[in-house]
Amino acid sequence: MKRTLFTLLALFMVMSLVLTACGPTATPQIIEKTVEVTKEVVVTKEVEVTKEVEVEVEKLVDRRVVIYNSYASDPAPRAADEELVKMFEEAHPEISVQHSTVAHEDFKQAIRAYLTASTPPDVMTWFAGNRARFFIDKGLIMDISDVWENEGWNEDYPTGFQALSTVEGKQYFLPTSWYWWAVYYRKDIFEQYNLEEPQTWEEFLAVCETLQDNGIKPLTIGTKYRWTTAAWFDYLNMRVNGPEFHINLMLGKESYDDPRVLTVFTDYWAPLIENDYFIDDPAAYTWSEALQFMVDGSAAMYLMGDFLRDSYPADQVGQVDFFRFPIIDPSVPVGEDAPTDGFFVAAQSQHPEDAKAFLAFLGSVEAQQYNADVLGRLPTNMKVDTSNFTPGQQKGLELIQGADFVAQFYDRDTTPEMADKGMNGFMEFWANPSRINDILAQLELDRQEIFAEEQ
Amino acid sequence: MLHSKKLVPYTFLIVPLILYLIWVIGPMAYTFYLSLTKWDGLSEPVFRGLANFERLFRDPIFFTSLKNNLRWIISFITIPVVLGLGLAIALNRAIPGAKFFKASFYSPLVLSLVVSGLIWSWMYHPAGGLINSVLRAVGLDNLARGWLSEETTVMWAIIAVAIWRQVGYVMVLYLAGLQGVDPQLIDASKVDGANAWNTFRHVIFPLLAPVTVIVVVISIIDSLRAFDLVSVMTRGGPYNSSSVLANFMYIEAFNNYKMGYAAAISVILFFISAVFIFIYLWRVTQDELEY
Repeated sequence: MKRTLFTLLALFMVMSLVLTACGPTATPQIIEKTVEVTKEVVVTKEVEVTKEVEVEVEKLVDRRVVIYNSYASDPAPRAADEELVKMFEEAHPEISVQHSTVAHEDFKQAIRAYLTASTPPDVMTWFAGNRARFFIDKGLIMDISDVWENEGWNEDYPTGFQALSTVEGKQYFLPTSWYWWAVYYRKDIFEQYNLEEPQTWEEFLAVCETLQDNGIKPLTIGTKYRWTTAAWFDYLNMRVNGPEFHINLMLGKESYDDPRVLTVFTDYWAPLIENDYFIDDPAAYTWSEALQFMVDGSAAMYLMGDFLRDSYPADQVGQVDFFRFPIIDPSVPVGEDAPTDGFFVAAQSQHPEDAKAFLAFLGSVEAQQYNADVLGRLPTNMKVDTSNFTPGQQKGLELIQGADFVAQFYDRDTTPEMADKGMNGFMEFWANPSRINDILAQLELDRQEIFAEEQ
Repeated sequence: MLHSKKLVPYTFLIVPLILYLIWVIGPMAYTFYLSLTKWDGLSEPVFRGLANFERLFRDPIFFTSLKNNLRWIISFITIPVVLGLGLAIALNRAIPGAKFFKASFYSPLVLSLVVSGLIWSWMYHPAGGLINSVLRAVGLDNLARGWLSEETTVMWAIIAVAIWRQVGYVMVLYLAGLQGVDPQLIDASKVDGANAWNTFRHVIFPLLAPVTVIVVVISIIDSLRAFDLVSVMTRGGPYNSSSVLANFMYIEAFNNYKMGYAAAISVILFFISAVFIFIYLWRVTQDELEY
């Protein structure tokens, strides 16, 4: 009996230990201890001789912490990102930025876990538009109207970008950079065969044919991660049916079994595939692996965002130029894809003031100027000096300014689930163009299912 | 006194049982509940009855995944079992180098599945991969293909990697089983004039029956769990042709943020696995066959 009593007692103690361990504990303000080395002058007196000696003295300095998670995982943007953090820390020695970079695809999956954690990262990279709106509506993104106000961004940012960041009169997002999509091509190959930048679909097909006849694949693409196919759909649909129809399709207001969608596949996309204008086995390559075919000259064109030039070998990037995706129906308004990236502060941020200070820096002329100079990104802050822009940047700026409508991108304009189904549909179509009727019928079922649930 | 003696083991079990409840039973029950809801992982789950299951049985990707799991099971309970048993018999004797061969057949198992998946992705690479390069070098150009990008080959290409890994495992299980076979019985069969095949067919194989049951059931459970290789090599692509249930569930949950729908998939997967797990436990707890 005594033994039982003892066991129960022991058990009780263990349980109470377990329970206390589970109890909520206050989150301490994270303070990083760093050793700072400063030089101090120490005066030593020897008999009538005074010597000044410099001695290194170690001091403990408390620095407040801002946690910053970024998806800028490609080498060039990553380096620029790290440099920006360094610039901020130099300007604010009392704040230390804990910067981690997560691969783009992984970041998209991890962000929900970040945002719902009790101590989320303070500042994060994200996509402007619908993708940000989703989290704003859930109350997971902090209202940063005061930063917009204090930094004078309401004057310095164009209204289009303000609108992209504003929900019900309050600002939640900081758009910092955007890039255009276009058809990139090898200038030297075009010159070799006396080709010019095609303006219309007929001219584009003629260019493809000439290249094909000369043993060069007209187009390269890597569809391993599927989204590159979505660019083709975005552009063909916008050029054939107009941006308004396209964006309504993205919002679930038009149906995928609409005959207008079918034409995009049967009349424009399928001929490109059936004529073998694309490289072989695109599904085996990522977008950057497929770039190799353009670099080695076995393919001449690539429909891609401007980040293509980040990954192109620096000594050969001069051979690369781009043109607007050819016009198919001149009576249709011109739509372009120009995805905008930026930053936000998590609503549950444990260091809101310092996070806002970091955000203010990221939106400043200084930071944006750096990104524009180093990466050739287009800045959102109108105060950034654009006079030093390369002809390429100027051309991109004109491309977007000349557009009647600017879309974000297929997987940013529609819901994540619809984008997943849609891109699978594009992949299946690519491998079996004849199945397009079944594919679109299934996509339409998916659309009804998905958007019925959204209500 | 008698009463308290009965109580003691239970009091000792309380802590592990509570942990088991928190870490295993609780999440399981919660998944069952989630499968009846619509949940995006952020807001509160909304109860919607059996709607997820209704949708599941209309979803072609579900049936593609199920079919792929079946292909995986069928390949797994035949090829690695036959090869593993063959290797075990061949290497279960004192031939020179037997230890080296045992170790080398077992070595793929030491690699993590992610590493195996990556290595094989390179080997399958259509342009610079080992397999296509060798095929082209010996003039079989028409056999070279995009192994992981064509819907007809992709599933088998992934299953082949899984088999490559599984053979060593099965071999080790059978080698262990062979240690338990009494050599006297084999000698006795030889004295009775049985040839090698008859000895194997009528003496060794029946004695290995308990091992075989375990190997088969483990293979089935492993094929239902299949996820890592698919996720690393294709993520279920191209267009879901290599999707398996676990991968389908992962995409729905963490890519499309349909937690409720994904929970419904995992509930189905749970019931399929449960059947085989019960067979396994029932076999393991049975007394083994003795001669």
